[in-house]
Amino acid sequence: MKTLEIKNIHAKIGNKEILKGLDLDLEPGKIHAIMGPNGAGKSTLSKTIVGHYDVEVTEGDILYKGKSILDMEPEERALEGIFLSFQHPVEIPGVNNAYFLRTALNAKRRHEGKEELNAAEFLREMKKHLEMLGMKADMISRSLNEGFSGGEKKRNEILQMLILQPEVIILDEIDSGLDIDALRAVSEGINMMKDGKRSFLVITHYSRILDYIKPDYIHVLKEGRIIKTAGPELVAHLEEHGYDSIVEEA
Amino acid sequence: MKLSELKGKTREETATLLGIDPEAAALEHFLALGLPDKKSEEYRYFRVEKLLERDYKILDYVPKAIQEAEKIVISDGVVTHAPKGLRIYNERCQTMDPVHFDPLYYLSHLLSPHVIKIDLDGDTDIEIEHRFTQSNTLINYRIVLANQANRHATVFESFREEEIEDTLVLYGYDILVAPDSTLRILKNQLMQKNRYAMVASHRIQLAQRANALIKSFDLGGDMGLQLIKADLDRYAHIDAGHLLYLNHEAQRGTVSKIIHKGEHSTSHQEAKNILDGNARGIFDALIKVEHSAKYTKAHQNSKAILLHEKAYMVAKPQLEIYIDELEASHGSTTGQLDEKQLFYLRSRGISYTEARKMLVIAFANTLIDQVKDHRHQDIIKASFEEVFYSGS
Ligand SMILES: Nc1ncnc2c1ncn2[C@@H]1O[C@H](COP(=O)(O)OP(=O)(O)OP(=O)(O)O)[C@@H](O)[C@H]1O
Ligand SMILES: [Mg+2]
Repeated sequence: MKTLEIKNIHAKIGNKEILKGLDLDLEPGKIHAIMGPNGAGKSTLSKTIVGHYDVEVTEGDILYKGKSILDMEPEERALEGIFLSFQHPVEIPGVNNAYFLRTALNAKRRHEGKEELNAAEFLREMKKHLEMLGMKADMISRSLNEGFSGGEKKRNEILQMLILQPEVIILDEIDSGLDIDALRAVSEGINMMKDGKRSFLVITHYSRILDYIKPDYIHVLKEGRIIKTAGPELVAHLEEHGYDSIVEEA
Repeated sequence: MKLSELKGKTREETATLLGIDPEAAALEHFLALGLPDKKSEEYRYFRVEKLLERDYKILDYVPKAIQEAEKIVISDGVVTHAPKGLRIYNERCQTMDPVHFDPLYYLSHLLSPHVIKIDLDGDTDIEIEHRFTQSNTLINYRIVLANQANRHATVFESFREEEIEDTLVLYGYDILVAPDSTLRILKNQLMQKNRYAMVASHRIQLAQRANALIKSFDLGGDMGLQLIKADLDRYAHIDAGHLLYLNHEAQRGTVSKIIHKGEHSTSHQEAKNILDGNARGIFDALIKVEHSAKYTKAHQNSKAILLHEKAYMVAKPQLEIYIDELEASHGSTTGQLDEKQLFYLRSRGISYTEARKMLVIAFANTLIDQVKDHRHQDIIKASFEEVFYSGS
């Protein structure tokens, strides 16, 4: 069975239709990369999957493990295992990063009928990941994303992924603005999550990250639709000839 | 008695109605300012008339033998408990402000010519619990606090009431902050169910190089107004923070005048307001810099978050300046909870209610974090949760 089935999705932001009959299936254990020009609707697609308030779905359906998620609240989708690493993570002054993460993890554990972690247990867990991601220890005590550099914000998204252990992982330009070390650390985090079951949707403009996390499929998103799906060899073609060289498949 | 009966009365009539000496100093000031109504500057946004029109039972304030306890307890205006060794007197007030802006400041002095005087000896940390046990009653008392030069004292104020209703509490401090000393006053007041309304009228006098930290946490519903006048001598500093977290039909807030009299005095005043339901929050605050107060620094700010379309914030930070050798700023903003932030939290599996609570507390945290004592912080946070879950 597919992990996620996106069927003929039409979605509006305001009065503007952005996704215009988009079809895409995510397979278990596979890494799907999405590439496409600016403004094509990549972030809108990711927001649609997680139930963002900006987006209004007018037609089509999204099935997760065979069930429609369109009527689910964002938090329910998250608890069921859908995770989006935002292109622009928001800063939340006054909300402690560790407290936030523990609240999120415990919400998930409650949902799964597991015991909640206390502060000490959680900190041990968090520190392990911080080290692996090359993040400073003060990320525990700072406010969520407040004053974080671009790279620190992206690492913090990966940290959340590692702690929450989701099953569908959408990464919206996780590689933008990362230095070489950060890109490597982030990729390593993503690779650690590969277990043959989880599905990944990696939105990117660059082939660089795809050298670290080997995609199984490349999808080209243009003008609100997936116009081509191919293997990793497509990346080189796109880099050379650009998106205009792609003609929509029948 | 109904306090509204004092409206427009002569000196003799007022003295007779209140059963006081017609020569009392406070009477002159009270008559000059007049009983407050809708048109009074200080009570523009607070329906004080409604409170003054009720018929209240009047109490006799007979000092009692004080029992030993961890904290000071003032029950219906009388001290019943206090820590061992603390010096508390019942005496005629000698420190009344001759130029307070609030008529009820003078009325409460008239009704309580004897004040509760508490000496803050040395470096000390005390808690005052105000208890109210009488319904339909006017509870009136005044407290004088004096600390010592070069010392640091903290006063934590809490309020507890029985199952009473429709009582009016008029009380307030006259505070002398000694030279080179620090006095911190933290107030946590959760009001609910119209058990009582409160007008608290304070005067704070800061000597040279004195520091005062005044942090108020006003939570819940009902009617309550604190009026603060502070006078700053040379190099004195006041740091005032006011948190409002209101719901239902609350009408609460702060009316203040901070007056810079001495050179190099500094003031910082910050209001954070979270308003739910039909609540009205008030922050009507003037900072005045007199001719004598060169090189002053004065900063004032109010931020409000409205959680309900019917909630309303009156934010009036004002500066009145008579010199130009100073550094000053003021501002106010009103908005809603940030939708993006709310979504971010929910996208991680945190429920809407929990996410909302996290953001509301985050907004308040800058003020709550300034309460250094963890026990006090926990009390404030517990009140916060209570209001949050009592809804709008
Ligand atoms: N909140 C919004 N209000 C109005 N228009 C929006 C909003 N969000 C997105 N859009 C529009 O929707 C279109 C698709 O935007 P989207 O962010 O999905 O593009 P993208 O493919 O992610 O682009 P990029 O590569 O630049 O990140 C753009 O034309 C954008 O201007
Ligand atoms: Mg985008």
